[in-house]
Amino acid sequence: MDILLAQTTDAGLADLGKAIAFGVGVGLGAVGAGIGLGTIFGSMIQAVARQPELRGELTGIQWLGFALVEAVVFYALLGALLAFVLV
Amino acid sequence: MSFVFAAESDFDPQHEFILEEWIPLHLGPLDMSVNKAVVYLWVGGFLTIFLGIWLMRFGLSLRPNRRQTTGESIYELVQAQIAESSLPRKALHLWFPYVASLFLFIWILNIVGFVPLPISNDTFDFFGVELPTLGIYAATANLSVTLALALITFGATHVEGIRYNGPSRYFKSWIPEGVPKPLLALIVPLEVISQFMRLISLSVRLFANMLAGHMLILVMLGLIFIFSSWVLIPISVVAGTAIYLFEVGIVVTIQAFVFALLSAIYIGAAIEPQH
Repeated sequence: MDILLAQTTDAGLADLGKAIAFGVGVGLGAVGAGIGLGTIFGSMIQAVARQPELRGELTGIQWLGFALVEAVVFYALLGALLAFVLV
Repeated sequence: MSFVFAAESDFDPQHEFILEEWIPLHLGPLDMSVNKAVVYLWVGGFLTIFLGIWLMRFGLSLRPNRRQTTGESIYELVQAQIAESSLPRKALHLWFPYVASLFLFIWILNIVGFVPLPISNDTFDFFGVELPTLGIYAATANLSVTLALALITFGATHVEGIRYNGPSRYFKSWIPEGVPKPLLALIVPLEVISQFMRLISLSVRLFANMLAGHMLILVMLGLIFIFSSWVLIPISVVAGTAIYLFEVGIVVTIQAFVFALLSAIYIGAAIEPQH
């Protein structure tokens, strides 16, 4: 309850807004990356199911895609952190 | 995780990432002081050299033992998955060593970052002796380190592109073929910016991955101290361990792999732009 009362001041409200913005920013980044990762691994499963002999070649491409997509969350995290600290 | 020993004090996860000067060293405007990240870099560099020599440099035979098999499988992974698929044949002898050492160095820096080492700003009292607390910190969770590595790749890309193709052919290769003249004013700035975005994406990807991994473990365990409740201990410890295993098992290797692979792709694409 103390925490809620503290937020009713102007500075408290600003902090509240920053916290919400931070959460929404990173969360939206995570949504995008989640969709991307689902597509990558889904396609990988389909591809291997159709042509199991290609698994070795595809694994490298799959992990490259995984890392490229996963990094998007961290760009969102970094941007949100910068906004959180600087604004 | 020094806060384990200072449970009552305030919990701030960013404290682990503050770099205090241990040996001040200032060359004019350059700050070359030795701090935690530098010591971790030394450890990583030493281990990389040691591992490279120990695995691949002596006692090699036609019937390989376990040590030689490990060395050969690392070599083969880099050769087959990273170098041969992205570097053109004529540049393989020159850039395979760079890509391979990049992979090994980043992998070791990352993995050392998840081993608790007594390299820390804090000390604790152990039967009257002041010892540094065990902490986990990765040199690659520091933007300066990853940016320096990315700058080497960035420099190598353009130097090699110009060396193999000549300046005019190389810079023309940035622009996709068959673009109508009026669009050039739009395309050229975009392509130039995209070259510099590579620098940012290459360094920030590794840096943010490692930073976020360490932060997550720290925050998961820190929940116990934020809410100061015993009920949270099983949940926090299990979640922290799960993240730790995910980071050590997958992220560490993937990030080193991707950094080396993208370096190879960039350098290879600069040497043979038509591909």
